[in-house]
Parts: sequence; structure tokens; C-alpha cells
Amino acid sequence: MIEARGLTKRFGRALAVDHVSFEVAEGAKVALLGANGAGKTTLLALLSTLLSPSEGEATVAGHDLASGGSALRASIGVLTHQPMLYEELTPEENLRFFARLYSVADAEERIEELLRAVGLWLRRDEPTAVLSRGYHQRLAIARALLHRPPVLLLDEPETGLDREALELLDRLVLHAPGLTVLAATHLRERVASWADGVLELERGRLLAGGAGARAASTAAGAAR
Amino acid sequence: MNATIAVLLKDLRLLWRQRSGWLSAATFAAISVLTYSFALDLATGEVKPLLPGVLWVTFLFAGIIASGRSFAAEAEQGTFDALLVAPAPRSAIYGAKLISNLIALLLIEVAVLVMATILFNTALLSVELIAIMVLGTLGYVSLTTLLSTLGSRVRSREVLIPVLALPLLTPLLIAAVRATGGALDLPTGGGDWLALLAVVTAWTSVGSVLLFPFVAEQ
Repeated sequence: MIEARGLTKRFGRALAVDHVSFEVAEGAKVALLGANGAGKTTLLALLSTLLSPSEGEATVAGHDLASGGSALRASIGVLTHQPMLYEELTPEENLRFFARLYSVADAEERIEELLRAVGLWLRRDEPTAVLSRGYHQRLAIARALLHRPPVLLLDEPETGLDREALELLDRLVLHAPGLTVLAATHLRERVASWADGVLELERGRLLAGGAGARAASTAAGAAR
Repeated sequence: MNATIAVLLKDLRLLWRQRSGWLSAATFAAISVLTYSFALDLATGEVKPLLPGVLWVTFLFAGIIASGRSFAAEAEQGTFDALLVAPAPRSAIYGAKLISNLIALLLIEVAVLVMATILFNTALLSVELIAIMVLGTLGYVSLTTLLSTLGSRVRSREVLIPVLALPLLTPLLIAAVRATGGALDLPTGGGDWLALLAVVTAWTSVGSVLLFPFVAEQ
């Protein structure tokens, strides 16, 4: 479902991602580990088309990174530690805007379903700005899942979540059947509970093997 | 097209709810025209030759105050990345931002024209003058919207946008001031300034649309 071959990103002379190659099978949940500055966020930015690679290639949900464009972006959901929501809009208005942007056919039903699922249905008409950090992240989960993407790219999604919201993240995303997930995280102790495999980055390079995975059969990581 | 309309409607709604940025630009424009009217009235009996300069300096600085708001808010909330990872063509996002900024600035400019008409006792609400204003503002906003995208990623955006925008806008401003003078029956020194304004506007608009996908990348 996700395949990277020699993916590289340079910022000037600095090598943020260094010839990274790996595969994530359909439906697999893979944790992306590494210290701060290891290149996790840059790798996810490359796979979500926010950055163009300096070298190498990748496919996500069958779409090539270089030429996939809109079709690739329609196949991914992105969830980061920043909720990526409009503070002045209500939760319902936020989701309605993104539903229109993603051309979600059954937008109203899907919005209600997700707002109920993340516990925001009764607060759907309040400005997002007045919601707590935890509720922002809940709404961000709803936004990421709105268009039913087959692939989710997560960058430290647990940030700011309380126990209840963490359970929500587990239920809707990390244990969701059929959903392919690549998630950068610092919470190594939680990885074993949800990940099928682990990819570990160090200074932009992918370490062979990895640590903390229950099974690595669905995610084959290999350093160049 | 659907994406452009979606982003545009969202931006217009946010424009209404985040009124502070645009209100400060409108307040600046109003105070500026008022100050000019008193200053020029005392300095000379004939203010008409000075009006093109007064109007475009006011439009320019009101636009600079307001232009960074749209992308700055998107960058602060991380929503600009959310737009970029959506399956919308990046030119559609740029187009929507351009139109919303254009609408907001034109509203301020029309208010300035009405105010200047009263204060300077000169008919400024002619079709020709409004056409020049729309054309010049389109060229101006297309460039400042692009530069705001660039500026939204850096901390010193309040400095970056004027420093980059003012030199690039000089040809457009000269053409706009001269064309406005022509519309007010003032001597323009020859040359088809309206045609030059149209060419510069077309150049900045097309160039900005083409450059936006590159500028939008982190």
C-alpha cells in the first residue's frame, strides 16, 4: 500500500531523509520511530506530497508520488500533533468544508456519524476555538477519516490526548480493520499494543529491523 | 472549480468572523485619506493632480496591512497544510485566496473612493476609474497573495512582504497612478498607461498562478 524506494530529501546540504526504502502492506499498522530530528516528519511530509523528494520514488495506495497528485492526496488522511482546523468555524462547519474539498458524496450523514463517534455531536455548533486541546484532536481525527481514506499518515497523533481520547484513536484509527497506517510516534511503550511493524529512523537513515514491534511481517524495512 | 468555491466561501466566512485585520486596514485607509484632505487643502487650492498618488499610496499600504492575514492565519492554525494535502489543484487554492483578498481590498477601496469624492470635492466614482482600480488591485493582490504564501512560513513575515512586494510592485503602481491621472483628465506625459497596467497585471497574475505550487511547498 505504501512503497518507498531510495526516498531522499535534502535541505541545502543537510540530508533530512537519506535513501529510505520500505514497504507497508495493505491494512498494516506501522510505527515510525526515531529521536527528534531523525527525519520522521520529513518522511511523512514527502509521502503526503507536502514536500517533493530530492531523489527516489514512492507509491501510496497505488499512486506514484511524482505524478499521482490529486488522486494520491484523495487516498490519504493526515493527522498531526497540530489539529489543522479553523478555530473560527464550528466543528460541523470545519467538517463540512473539508467534505466539500474532498467531494464526499454523503457529507451530512458522514459528518454526523463522525461527530457522534468522536463525542462532539452535542458541541457541533460551538466555535472550535473554545474546545479543549483534547477535543481539537478528536475533531482532527474526524477530519482525517472524513473521506474514508485507505491510508492514514500520522505524525505524533497522541499529543494532547487524554486516556479517553487515546482509546478513541485506538478504536477509530490504530485498530481499524483494513486501514493502512504509518504513524510517527515517541510513545514506544504503546507501539506494541497496535503496531504490526516498526520502522526506525536515525539521522534520516532507516535502521534495518527496528524495535518494539509485535510482528514485522507486514512491514519490511531496509536501509540502503 | 468546486475546490475554488469551497475555499472561497470558507475564506469569506472567515473574513467576516476575523474582522480585526481588515478593519485595521480600512481604518488606516480612512484616516489616511482624511489626513491628506486636510494637508493638501492647506497646501494648495488645486488637489486634483495629487489625487492619483494619494489614492494609490492609500490602497498600497491598506493592502499591505491586510494582505498577510489570510495565509498567516492558515499557517498559524496548520490549515494551510490541510489544504495542500487535499485533492484540490494548488492553483484552485491560490485562485480562491486571490478572489477573497481581492473582494476585501476592493470593498475598502470603494469606501476610500466615496470618502475621497466627498473630501476632495472631485467626482471619482466613474466607470473608467473603477475599472483602473479593479485592474490595478488585481495585479497588486495577485502578487501580494503569492508573497503572503511565502511569508506565511517565516516568522518575520511583517517585514518580508513589504520588502519583497514594494520593488516588484513599482511598475504596476507607476502605471496605475498614470492611468488614474489620465482618467481624471490630467496630463500623463504620453503613452498608453492603461495598456501598460493591463500588461503588468496579466504578467503578475499569470506568473503568480504558475509560481504558487513551488512557493506553497514547505
